[in-house]
Amino acid sequence: MRPGFFNHLLLISQFELKRAFATPRGLLSMLTFAVVWYFILLYPLRFTADLLVEEKGVIKGFSFFDFIGFHSLQNWTIPEFAVFWHFALILFPLLSIMLAADQTCSDRERGTLRFILLRTSRDCLFFGRFTGMMLIQTLLISAAAFGTLALVLYRDTALFSPALSNLSAVTVNLVLAILPFTAMMAVLSARVKSARQATTWAVLIWTFLAGIISILAYYLPAFSVLKYLVPGYQLSDLAQLSEWRTLQLAHIPLLQSLILLAFGRWIMARQPL
Amino acid sequence: MKPVIIQCQHLNHVYSGKAALSDLSFELESGEPIGLVGPNGAGKTTLLSILSGFLRPTSGAVRLFGYPPGATQLIGKVSALPQDARLDPSFTIIEQLVFFGRLQGLTTQQANLEANRVLEAVALKESGHEKPLVLSHGMGKRVAIAQALIGKPALVLLDEPTAGLDPVNVRTVRSIIAEQSSGTTFIISSHDLTELDRLCQQILLLEKGVMQSEKIRVKDQQAATRFITLQMEACPALEVMAKFQVLKGVLHVTNPQKNEFIVEYSSDTPVKMDLQLMQCINDNHWHYRQLSHGKTLEEKLFF
Repeated sequence: MRPGFFNHLLLISQFELKRAFATPRGLLSMLTFAVVWYFILLYPLRFTADLLVEEKGVIKGFSFFDFIGFHSLQNWTIPEFAVFWHFALILFPLLSIMLAADQTCSDRERGTLRFILLRTSRDCLFFGRFTGMMLIQTLLISAAAFGTLALVLYRDTALFSPALSNLSAVTVNLVLAILPFTAMMAVLSARVKSARQATTWAVLIWTFLAGIISILAYYLPAFSVLKYLVPGYQLSDLAQLSEWRTLQLAHIPLLQSLILLAFGRWIMARQPL
Repeated sequence: MKPVIIQCQHLNHVYSGKAALSDLSFELESGEPIGLVGPNGAGKTTLLSILSGFLRPTSGAVRLFGYPPGATQLIGKVSALPQDARLDPSFTIIEQLVFFGRLQGLTTQQANLEANRVLEAVALKESGHEKPLVLSHGMGKRVAIAQALIGKPALVLLDEPTAGLDPVNVRTVRSIIAEQSSGTTFIISSHDLTELDRLCQQILLLEKGVMQSEKIRVKDQQAATRFITLQMEACPALEVMAKFQVLKGVLHVTNPQKNEFIVEYSSDTPVKMDLQLMQCINDNHWHYRQLSHGKTLEEKLFF
């Protein structure tokens, strides 16, 4: 019996998971990720969290974090997750641009996509690779978040329940935050010839689009609505929110992702392979 | 009547303003392997890419088994060896073949069996756990042919299956096609006319994106005149032609290449022409290398 759309989606995304976690190249990337997060958790995150804990109620009316513009850190129940949130909001979108850059481009250039396309539709291939990349990143976000949870429990095991709630909030929100970045890389990967080109274009588009829209909005405020087109536009606002309140801006990455995926699908359907 | 497997109507494809295919209309039936020939840039790869669903035609209609190329109904029914396509270097060959089998709807166990079967068919079972990068060009080509055979498809499109292969590998590919052609129709694009002559009963000729009006039958038994092609050892060409010309039933003798003669004769000649020629060669103490009925494919197509 011929498998349906979702079966193909599952098979293709499973194959991408295998690429990330069961091939030497994938394992090397995972090892690098683990080392980077080990040092983030061990030094900046732990020290900042300790500072936040010590500062609470010590000097009334003055806060070092207010002074440096990170007042929002104090709105979190668990300081470790407050710091994790700020680090992750920068690191995971950047990681997404690098990790998701090669969703289809090198396989298309090598001709490998042709072998797959003899057995599945272009839609399944495009969305299957995107889903696979989202699953990989979700696992990485969860791993980093569980590392933070371990750090919290090492300090005080009584914080398990609120820490678990914080962990869920940051994981869900980070997955939402990286959605448009991964979708943008899926679009670029469907069009360009290599992962390097995709990353370069992503940085250029991101920088210039944001710059041009800001200039337009300065002279004609009506154009400020175009800011919604820039992936990650909401990240600075998101950093000011804490815990489940971060979901207030969830509609922005969801809408951006839908638009980008529809565009990517359109390119994929017309692209010679 | 055999079922029609490919229908093309007014097919056009344009690459950056240049016509790669011009108003192609033809129908192909299932059966013996079909050859697709033409000079470089004639549009052979473009046509096979459109039939495989890798490329969208600029205009015109294409149907394979009644469905457009790339339709999900064709999964497992149509397969291809794309020119110069390579497998993913990150995974072993068997992992990728199993993945392809799973996409075609096989269970993991069935896909494993099928992957081993096709690797055995191309004599590469022992290389299944290698990664594609360690394979030689010939082995890589055979693996690419193996993936095209997964699930025993009804139609296989082979783009230059023997290009760059050594004679041993060419023979292997030829036997694979011959063995599988009882249940599968192969369409083979190639520059190797000797190869196509051996494998195909029907040839399509593409020139500058235009399909020549008539499909060429390799064995033309019904024609009014017939041909014999003779490869001779070193011999006096003019004398040979003169002696052959006076044999009973001979209409015309040509010498297209050094030591090669094509004898055209009337099909209703009562005597066996091959025996007459042998007798003549023997009487004159000449030596021949090869005698074959009909013209070579090269002669048929291009001269």
